[in-house]
Amino acid sequence: MKSLKTLVIAAALSLGAVGAGHAQAPATPAEAPVATAPANPAPAAADAATTAAAPAGDATYVPMKPTPGVGQPVDAGIDFQPQVSPVGEQAYWFNHVILLPVITIITLLVLGLLLWVVFRYRAKANPVPSKTTHNTFIEIIWTAIPVLILAVIAVPSIRLLAQQYEPPSKEALTIKVTGYQWYWGYAYPDQGIGEYVSKILPKDKAEAAGEPYHLAVDNRMVVPVGRQVKLIITGADVIHSFAVPAFWTKMDAVPGRANETTFTANKVGVYYGQCSELCGVDHGYMPIAVEVLPVDKWEAWVRSKGGNPAGVEAAPAAAAPAPAADAPAAAPAAAPAATTTEAAPAAAPAAAPATKN
Amino acid sequence: MMGRLSPNAKTASLASLMALAMTGLGFAAVPLYDLFCRVTGFGGTTQRYDPVAAAAEPQILSDTISVRFDANVSPNLPWKFYPEHPRDTVSVGARDMAIFIAENNSSQPVVGTASFNVTPTQAGQYFTKIQCFCFTQQRLEPGQQMRMPVLFFVDPKIKDDPDARDVQEITLSYTFHPSDPVDEGKKAS
Amino acid sequence: MTDIAATAPAHGHDHAHDHDHDTPGFFVRWFMSTNHKDIGTLYLIFAIVAGIVGGVISGMMRWELAEPGIQHLVGWAQFFDGAAGEVQAKHFWNVMITAHGLIMVFFMVMPAMIGGFGNWFVPLMIGAPDMAFPRMNNVSFWLTFVAFFMLVGSMFVPGGSGLGAGTGWTVYAPLSTSGSPGPAVDMAIFSLHLAGAASILGAINFITTIFNMRAPGMTLHKMPLFVWSVLVTAFLLLLALPVLAAAITMLLTDRNFGTTFYDAAGGGDPVLYQHLFWFFGHPEVYIMILPGFGIVSQIISTFSRKPVFGYLGMAYAMVAIGVVGFIVWAHHMFTVGMSVNLKMYFTAATMVIAVPTGIKIFSWIATMWGGSMSFKTPMVWSLGFIFMFTVGGVTGVVLANGGVDTNLHDTYYVVAHFHYVLSLGAVFSLFAGFYYWFPKMSGRMYSEFLGQLHFWIFFIGVNVLFFPQHFLGQQGMPRRYPDYAEAYAFWHLISSYGYVIMGVGVLIFFANILYSLVAGKRAADNPWGEGATTLEWTLSSPPPFHQFNELPRIA
Repeated sequence: MKSLKTLVIAAALSLGAVGAGHAQAPATPAEAPVATAPANPAPAAADAATTAAAPAGDATYVPMKPTPGVGQPVDAGIDFQPQVSPVGEQAYWFNHVILLPVITIITLLVLGLLLWVVFRYRAKANPVPSKTTHNTFIEIIWTAIPVLILAVIAVPSIRLLAQQYEPPSKEALTIKVTGYQWYWGYAYPDQGIGEYVSKILPKDKAEAAGEPYHLAVDNRMVVPVGRQVKLIITGADVIHSFAVPAFWTKMDAVPGRANETTFTANKVGVYYGQCSELCGVDHGYMPIAVEVLPVDKWEAWVRSKGGNPAGVEAAPAAAAPAPAADAPAAAPAAAPAATTTEAAPAAAPAAAPATKN
Repeated sequence: MMGRLSPNAKTASLASLMALAMTGLGFAAVPLYDLFCRVTGFGGTTQRYDPVAAAAEPQILSDTISVRFDANVSPNLPWKFYPEHPRDTVSVGARDMAIFIAENNSSQPVVGTASFNVTPTQAGQYFTKIQCFCFTQQRLEPGQQMRMPVLFFVDPKIKDDPDARDVQEITLSYTFHPSDPVDEGKKAS
Repeated sequence: MTDIAATAPAHGHDHAHDHDHDTPGFFVRWFMSTNHKDIGTLYLIFAIVAGIVGGVISGMMRWELAEPGIQHLVGWAQFFDGAAGEVQAKHFWNVMITAHGLIMVFFMVMPAMIGGFGNWFVPLMIGAPDMAFPRMNNVSFWLTFVAFFMLVGSMFVPGGSGLGAGTGWTVYAPLSTSGSPGPAVDMAIFSLHLAGAASILGAINFITTIFNMRAPGMTLHKMPLFVWSVLVTAFLLLLALPVLAAAITMLLTDRNFGTTFYDAAGGGDPVLYQHLFWFFGHPEVYIMILPGFGIVSQIISTFSRKPVFGYLGMAYAMVAIGVVGFIVWAHHMFTVGMSVNLKMYFTAATMVIAVPTGIKIFSWIATMWGGSMSFKTPMVWSLGFIFMFTVGGVTGVVLANGGVDTNLHDTYYVVAHFHYVLSLGAVFSLFAGFYYWFPKMSGRMYSEFLGQLHFWIFFIGVNVLFFPQHFLGQQGMPRRYPDYAEAYAFWHLISSYGYVIMGVGVLIFFANILYSLVAGKRAADNPWGEGATTLEWTLSSPPPFHQFNELPRIA
């Protein structure tokens, strides 16, 4: 975390100067931010950053190739996808160490008892049936033992829930997720990346890119490795559901209200998910792809999107001479432009997809 | 009156009454749910400041909390809508003002209303609005831009709630919808 | 104390009275029927027809899902919709999942369990001459009938992106309101209204019958467990369906009259619909399974030649399941965005249901324990039921954990879970009941060989069909997808093979019915021997048109 902070500050410092030029860059904000527009001033900004602050890393963003077997289903697979978030690991442990053995034992016990009575009490083996209809002791036993088993399950279950609901840190990377019929929109309000649209990649393109068709998208959500990510999720038209199995994350996108969920991805890679609430005709064709990058690469991606990895608010504050640094309420220099870009596609969701591809 | 009925009619009447009561309950769920949300902050429903009921000005604590502002526009509304700042840090208990900006991009006057909630949901009952554009309809002339304030504070009681105490950032989210359901964009194509 | 031994009714009364009341002519008998047995038969035939429709739809779904990509949907949609393209094809998929769900729930399982077996055997088992309100009984059936045609009809009218309602059986707003223009969804909702009204009338009828028309000596605590199960089910219907009716009425007004109950734009909340739907929906799953519990209890006892073990515990376990069923609904909506406390509550409450369910499973085993078991077809189905229901039950315990459900919600794991409790639970108990009572209803014995063959093929088929869906779910395959990533192909193909095997089993079932009706041996009054102690076995097979004109006395 410490090194991350240094990095952020360094990048912020380096971008302070660029900030001004950057601010007027999205002067035609309405449609611009949906793509990795080459016309964007970001590369220039990134260049400045590299010269000013060494760790900012390489400036070009190339979508990463997925690792087979990670973040996606495998052929004839039977298990959960490998978990890369702490919550996912915990949940996976809970399922595999507690739930699965318990339910397997119970099922086998019932099967065993059934086979035994079938064998032992078949008419041939036991021609005269007993007349027993009560046994208080055994009835108490088979009530009490399930209660105990459930109590044993309940403890880690509640703990898992508590872990999932731990309030996210305010340092978490916040991403706004909007479900549309039938694509996703992602925005990074703090980085000044306005909403861009993420749509399914057609079959030929997916195959050309070496990605699984049905899961691959044109513009991924990109997050830094190891940093907590907070998703603010809403739906634009009907209910959708944002899900990434490898993070153990799923949250409905309900129109007219915001939902919040978090994940921390601890491994670099590409992780796929799919819309998980019936939302109409193309419900099966609005996948989710999250690319987890090392911090420097992620920053390069942010710049390629025209954003500021350090946060639009942090930039002028760090670059001390900013005129309006007296109060947090005052407008930071870069903010208005950035927020404009953020809101723009939301107002023109119909226009946004049209400009894509 | 029941006495005169045959046993069958009596049982059937009672059963019908139960069914009717449940039907009533089904419809009554609408106001009840609304009330429940407002009282408990369920689903992130915010509280409304009532100057009469409020005994005293809330105490201002030294703790601060981050408040994030989130703006959405229904696809049927030709507006641009965004917060002036994406987030703000406030002292718990202190009043703060956030500005949201709405612009009508169309060539007609448009009326909109906002739905809203906060996340995480357990913060809903501690997020109190004193004044908000969301309480009323907003009308924007063609091309008009409007700055809309929200005056709010975070109730210091949040610090006494074990579930909400550790919340570091509250997100206040608005979605603007067209107010007259004109041409409810039947967009399925 | 709790075993039910009927003194043989004064003989001669069954046949003697047939001559007093002439059996009505064909039209009056079958279209204006007020006879509980005839209405039960109508319900059973209706449920079989609906089951064929729902089953064919699921067959089409499995056919499409056998490999990735869209293979047949376009052709099918064209068949329905004249000029159809990709969009109509995908919409047709959603129509199929909606229709399959609604038909199987409302027009197959419920009519068969409650309308069919309930009507046939509740009066017989409690020693009543008929249902309390015979005409209302008839109204219930024909309402269900009209509702079914309404639902099928909705598949042929515009529903937005194509013909039919493509909202899923849950009809979630706003997909079902602003997301689905056209009359199809209105028609589907209206169909649910009619089916719901029919079931509420039926529930009132059963409650009145069971409370007021028991033969002398037949106290509540002497009632056969099947009657208990129908009684509890009737109360669930009575309390749950009105809430559904209210919820979907508001959907209708939202769609047509500009109200905004579920529309955030007007201050409503789409999540409210989900709460109301699942407040009905969770009891609904017990409505579908409880009569199955009752059927299985009768059969296990009969073929073990032993009274049910822990009768009171069995009866009150069903009551407990019914009561708890009303306070666990939000576990269907764990991902909708709820507070941690609520999620913990619904997790804990849901797991509580495992306790009475466990009591039932173990009591069935204890009933067999020490018994003298014969493995006739109904018994084999019941044994299959116990095991398969256990498998579905334990995956339910997994899903009950809100934290785990985050991953599994709306995946094939859930599909596998509810098909294990319904398609392998409820349906197994239906087949068990059908074979058990077929001799009584028709007066003919079924073919034991075909029955056993039916069981084994069906058993293998549904397990091959549904077990791999657990794997798909764990791998992340979401529900309600017409198409999927290459990696899911293997288990989907296996699953589709399973459907074919199951289908062969169903064909054997129909062959068995045909054979039995045409050439089956005449059934004795009680073909099952001394283990069958309930009152229906004291009557002739088939029973007289009017029975118990002289009420039996229960010792």
